[in-house]
Amino acid sequence: MIPTKEREGEIWAIGGGKGGTGKTFLVSCVGTCLAKKGKSVVLVDLDFGGANLHSFFGMNRPRKTVTSFFENGASLSELAVNTDIENISLIAGDVQSIASDNIKFSQKLKLFRQLVKLNSQHVLIDLGAGSHNNTLDTFLMADKMIVILVPELIAIENLYHFIKSSLFRKVKKTLKEYGFKEIVQHIWDRRASYGIKNLKELMDYLKDSFSYLGNILEQELANFKIYLILNMVRNNQEIQIGSSIKSVLAKYLGIPIIYAGYIQYSDSVWRSIRERRLFMIHYLSTGCAREIELCTENLIQDKEVGFYQAY
Amino acid sequence: MSREDLKKYFEILELSSHASLQDIKNAYLRLKKLYSSDSIVLMPLGDEFPERKRKKILNQIEEAYARLLFYFKSEPQRDILPSEIPVSEKVSFEENMDYPSFSGQALKEIREKRGIELSEISNQLKLRIELLKNIENEKFEALPEEAYLRTQLKNYAACLSLNHEKVVEDYLRRYKEWKDKI
Repeated sequence: MIPTKEREGEIWAIGGGKGGTGKTFLVSCVGTCLAKKGKSVVLVDLDFGGANLHSFFGMNRPRKTVTSFFENGASLSELAVNTDIENISLIAGDVQSIASDNIKFSQKLKLFRQLVKLNSQHVLIDLGAGSHNNTLDTFLMADKMIVILVPELIAIENLYHFIKSSLFRKVKKTLKEYGFKEIVQHIWDRRASYGIKNLKELMDYLKDSFSYLGNILEQELANFKIYLILNMVRNNQEIQIGSSIKSVLAKYLGIPIIYAGYIQYSDSVWRSIRERRLFMIHYLSTGCAREIELCTENLIQDKEVGFYQAY
Repeated sequence: MSREDLKKYFEILELSSHASLQDIKNAYLRLKKLYSSDSIVLMPLGDEFPERKRKKILNQIEEAYARLLFYFKSEPQRDILPSEIPVSEKVSFEENMDYPSFSGQALKEIREKRGIELSEISNQLKLRIELLKNIENEKFEALPEEAYLRTQLKNYAACLSLNHEKVVEDYLRRYKEWKDKI
């Protein structure tokens, strides 16, 4: 896609399928942690369904939002507004803003081009819920693909769907770049007659049948990894769900998950949201804040949570 | 054991090759529990992750655990001995395999499936290969007295991380049946 050297800042996208798992909360917290380390940070609210990142910073919706980008041709960088926190600026979203599936292809490309040009060391994107193609593409263009999950069946189900869709899209896009546009969809649509039951088997089939495709996929997917953060955990069994998901996705899809950390369930979180006060400033003495700092550190360093220590 | 094999077994248990025996034990128990129960992590995958595949993964986990235990036992620089793990937590391989009873043939097949050479066990237990072969081939007339045989079977079973009580019981039953006939 876009070579790393042309990029200004490192882009982290935070998604995960289900709504209400804490994406926006995490973006506000991790952004604040990075800013406290002296990094310049731009937060981008691309949650078209329920954009409210600004309220986590105690702000009313700024006059300029991403809507201006999509409808009036404003450039992304001029939409960034300062927050009360030093080093953090914000590009707000809009509930009235364009629906995810109405974004034109050319707009999407323009969005990506401008995201990588944002003059900041870190760009954090709040993706919102769902697995729409535009959401997936934004997720895939990031330097770090981060998902946040709560330990519940439906959330796990949605997460799998999100990750599977991302991988499928990545495989299709990759092969399209090499001139094999239709082959993946073609085989997938007729998967029953090929005896293929899941994405892993599809990839194995491609690798076995066309060894050159296998090499391409191996190369392009070598850096495909997803960072997982588990939110609202209540006990050690729930903490372990993170490592179970890591295991299952490695064995089922063959993709690596970095279990970067967990955040325990705490009333202080909803209190901070209700009060519209930034958690990592006003609730810094809580256990949650420690855990979020650890998550951020692990995300920076590509490290996993030492979950055995939690027992 | 070759380096590649060792690496593979650590990978199956999702560990780095610096893992301690305690890490191996924890990983084994955790993964075994994960793939033998209906957790909310597996449920959403449904038919895409069928029973057959789970069984296969469970067998790989069992094998990796057994092989790594054996490796730790035979490498003196690894300080803790696997015998310190309570018997009840050891691999009960028979749960996943089609061996209702441990005959000499069954023991041989299990050993071969795990890629353990007789020479490795021989070195480990300081027993002659010939004796081990006689055990596997049920050459009862060439085996030592029952009291000695019992100990040797127990050690042999431990090398394969099998439930040694059951191995001794099954094997000696066949041994006695033979003895009664002559």
